[in-house]
Amino acid sequence: MTPLQFEKLYEHDWAELELLLDRVLQRSGTRAERAAVSGARLAALYRRACEHLALARARAYPAHVLERLERLTAAGHQLIYQQHEFGLARLRAMFATDFPAEVRRQWRYVAVAAATFMLPTLVVGVLVYRHPELILSVVTSDTAASYETMYSPAADSIGRVRTATTDWMMFGFYIRNNVGVAFQCFAGGLFAGLGSLFYLAYNGLLGGAVAGYLTERGLSSTFYPFIATHSAFELTAIVLSGAAGLRIGHALVAPGRLARMQSLVRATHESAILLYGVTAMLLVAAGIEAFWSSATWLPSAAKYGVAGVCWTAVICYFVRPGRATERHAG
Amino acid sequence: MTESRTRLSSLPEALAPSPDILDTVVAAETPEGILLELRPAGLTARFYAFSLDWIIRLAVIYAAAIVARFTGGIGIAFWIVLIFVLEWFYPVAFELMRGGATPGKRVFGLRVVMDNGLPATAAASVTRNLLRAAEFLPFFYGFAIVSMLVRRDCKRMGDIAAATLVVHEPRAVSRPPLDQFMPVVPARPLAPQDQAAVIALAARAPTLTAERLDELAALAAAVSGDQGRTGRAVTERVLGVAQWLLGRRA
Repeated sequence: MTPLQFEKLYEHDWAELELLLDRVLQRSGTRAERAAVSGARLAALYRRACEHLALARARAYPAHVLERLERLTAAGHQLIYQQHEFGLARLRAMFATDFPAEVRRQWRYVAVAAATFMLPTLVVGVLVYRHPELILSVVTSDTAASYETMYSPAADSIGRVRTATTDWMMFGFYIRNNVGVAFQCFAGGLFAGLGSLFYLAYNGLLGGAVAGYLTERGLSSTFYPFIATHSAFELTAIVLSGAAGLRIGHALVAPGRLARMQSLVRATHESAILLYGVTAMLLVAAGIEAFWSSATWLPSAAKYGVAGVCWTAVICYFVRPGRATERHAG
Repeated sequence: MTESRTRLSSLPEALAPSPDILDTVVAAETPEGILLELRPAGLTARFYAFSLDWIIRLAVIYAAAIVARFTGGIGIAFWIVLIFVLEWFYPVAFELMRGGATPGKRVFGLRVVMDNGLPATAAASVTRNLLRAAEFLPFFYGFAIVSMLVRRDCKRMGDIAAATLVVHEPRAVSRPPLDQFMPVVPARPLAPQDQAAVIALAARAPTLTAERLDELAALAAAVSGDQGRTGRAVTERVLGVAQWLLGRRA
């Protein structure tokens, strides 16, 4: 069969497939025409085009024939086999069960990440509390002084020097800053997990130094009520993104029975759900930090009370939801 | 072109391309058993696309800053949130749309797909973009650039981990013009790949200068029994063979 005969024989099928793909992918035609596209017909035409492409390649038909068939099959393949993972139901299932279940499944990484974050916090916190001059080896003297101003009881809002700006501005600032830190803790996992360990330890150390310093300066009555509530979401989220980073680092270093790249790809795709959860938690944290934690008119007791509720809620959230489905799945 | 077709016609070779072929085509097998050709985009094309995206984002941020100046505190707040969103989710949003490409990539004819040729999934898009936080180290996307340069499929680390690929959109191939020359019966039987090469020459003929066309046709003169000769007449006979191979008969 010559190329011209081949084209003439199947032109009808290809034109129809082109039209159907156009209707769906480019949204051409009227609404009624788009609704009339039959999935079964499209799939049948797609499979036929696949056969034609195989034939055309085996017979080394001219490039323009191959190109047309390749374009048709590639578009059909994308349309027929693409995964749909959006939708409200999916989102609900994710936050109701999948996210906490995944955190539990990765509890070893979460434990290591939490330890890497908290040990420097405690050690450096105590050290700086005992020897406040050590703060200068972590931050500059100007920064240390500005921390003191921020958390002084005389300030009309805590945690920042309030100018004419609003809480919303700080919301934007906290979001940008915290998400940056969290994503760094995750992405550092690519360097065999060492980057995650570094960022976790570094941020823990920084937090510990500031806490130790401010406590020593006698500002604990403003500092701790400020951080107590939003830290339930913020610190947990940073530890979880660090855990996701450690997971991909470990998958890279010790792939087990998989090929190294396969192992990395699998760990990364399974970590995505942690990142969705982490981003949501950081949004909540930034909201609390900007609108609740910084308000000076609230008594400390109220803040500690709400902080207790938040911490309990976060811990319960990760311990409880989704157990039933896990048992069900065996 | 002929090289890759030959390779694709036999499956095991195509899946493990031999290193001596100077080509970056990645074959993705569909469930129907055919191989889709994906052409990974190299550093240069991706750099242009990235730069354009960067300029677009900068322009949006700048324009929003002007608006924010007039609206005051709340405007500045939204401006900061906007910077945050553009920083991390600009590529994700565009990659998950139909085109699978940011405006910069679209201008330069690139798109993001999974390794198997399918549209990028949400998980893949999010992870490949968040991993930028590691790749822009030590400076100016250093790790990403090294990764793209050393790999045959030009993946950066985020692409490796998310199993995605940045590919060139396929370019349309021109049809050989029909009815231009009288069909000429080939002087000897031609292998399928040789037939395809002669037809490809005919398809390219309108884009070549007459002199260059003569040179190229002279290389293929054996198909019309004119080996060793060159000139306009030989070219016409070679292109006539292409007409015959396409299926035209006198």
